[in-house]
Amino acid sequence: MTLFIQELKMGRKQLLAWTICIGICCFGCILLFQGLEETMEEMGDVYAQMGAFATALNLDRMDAGTMEGFFATEISMIFAVGGAMFAAMMGICMLTKEEEGHTVEFLNTLPFGRNYIVVWKYIAMTALIALLNGICLCWELLGFICAGEMMPLRELLLFHGAQFLMHLEVGSICFLASVFCRKKQMGASLGFAILLYGMDLMCRIVPDLKNLKYVTPYYFSNAAEIFINGSIEGKMVGISVVVIVFCGCAAAVLYKRKDF
Amino acid sequence: MTHERENIIEIKNLTKSYGKKRGVKAISLSVRQGDIFGFLGQNGAGKSTTIRSMLGLLHYQEGEIRILQMDAVKNQNEILRQVGYMPSEAMFYPSMKVKEVISFAARARKTDCSKEAARLCEVLKVDEEKKIEELSLGNRKKVSIVCAMQHRPRLLILDEPTSGLDPLMQEAFFELLLEYNRQGTTCFLSSHVLSEVKNYCRHAAIIKEGAIIRTDTVENLSKSDARYVKLTRGGQKREFVYTGKINALLHELANMQVEDVLIEEPSLDEIFRHYYEDKESGADMQKEGQI
Repeated sequence: MTLFIQELKMGRKQLLAWTICIGICCFGCILLFQGLEETMEEMGDVYAQMGAFATALNLDRMDAGTMEGFFATEISMIFAVGGAMFAAMMGICMLTKEEEGHTVEFLNTLPFGRNYIVVWKYIAMTALIALLNGICLCWELLGFICAGEMMPLRELLLFHGAQFLMHLEVGSICFLASVFCRKKQMGASLGFAILLYGMDLMCRIVPDLKNLKYVTPYYFSNAAEIFINGSIEGKMVGISVVVIVFCGCAAAVLYKRKDF
Repeated sequence: MTHERENIIEIKNLTKSYGKKRGVKAISLSVRQGDIFGFLGQNGAGKSTTIRSMLGLLHYQEGEIRILQMDAVKNQNEILRQVGYMPSEAMFYPSMKVKEVISFAARARKTDCSKEAARLCEVLKVDEEKKIEELSLGNRKKVSIVCAMQHRPRLLILDEPTSGLDPLMQEAFFELLLEYNRQGTTCFLSSHVLSEVKNYCRHAAIIKEGAIIRTDTVENLSKSDARYVKLTRGGQKREFVYTGKINALLHELANMQVEDVLIEEPSLDEIFRHYYEDKESGADMQKEGQI
């Protein structure tokens, strides 16, 4: 618990910065919708003629002229990519910051044990991701209240549950990668979060790449899919859970074998 | 009946290499309870590798390490609970305050060390309200001393503890070290400052290129059959360490046209230097009949 509190304290500034950025973006976009409502209705017709691109963004199935459609096709994207970038950054920094800052010797010579260090650092990363999701959800709800339009709560919560899982998966992969790094690979981790988003777009546009949907967690956590189907694909959630568990366990095993 | 003191550190045939790079090879040493043990060696000799292996930071290929009568691998946490470690590089989280770092180290041991920590901070003049990022190397070292000592450990492992400390603080540090030692703490001190070892340690080991070349009491290490000879001959000065029978040296000197000669027991510095010189070249090592 000592280490967990310590990690939360150290991550609080980044959490604050990212929740403000993503949360305010979402909040602002929700408020903007009222002013854009008419334009978005016209844009809906344009989007419908954009073929594969419209399919990739689910604009063929959701009406961007409604708050629900606007949220599912536009705002959710900001939240998904922003949150994944934050998760990737947290994941890659959790272990490598000790080596880069030369504090690894201090930490590992306290009677914690390596398993304890990995487990509590992982829990701290999960908590920070959960906090980001929770705070941003609050910003969105505030936006809906201010805009006077409420989203279907069940779907909204389902979407945020899927987003949390997706962010945790991205964070877990980066957490595992951080075991192999001596320096914080911030650029690579942010790139990785964006690459997964790119994969989601590609597997929706190019039929030959449809199997990429099993690789990118953006696929199952897509807002439009959730709002249309009212559910998340169980198989995809299962894959995500397996990846998360594997990354956590592999990180613990490899960290234990590491020389400092 | 003699009461044999237990070994607090026992290393047997420790071997650690980093791929093709040498670490340490078949190192064996033991440190008795209540001792202040000096671990001497140049940079890269294997001091830190040995210490890191003792603390579980490195996984070694061969050998056995027992600390406080416990296996260093199997009982790592229990050992760390009873050990105070001061690394050569005192690094902490920059955004934390000094008091937070000290309290973090205490909480890791689930011990209330606040009184002892406050006393140590007062002795070492540590400002607990400052942030780590505002501290100089010397002040970070002081924080490291507090973290290592506040829980009154049974064993103190100190890796080059005085580097970065000013002379007054070095003195204060050694006073604390002796105080803890009097109360039963065993100290293992790695250093390349010979005066520290000579003044404060009872036993010492010299490590060179990953192997221990001599272990003895500091007194015995300082005593040597070797003699440091300074002579002036034909206006030219020569200095060398002579290892042979003293009569033979005197006999040879008597047959030479020597203008001045000084024969003295070498200091620990010179002995240390002697171990570290390239013996094959025989640069300033002289034996009988070679003067």
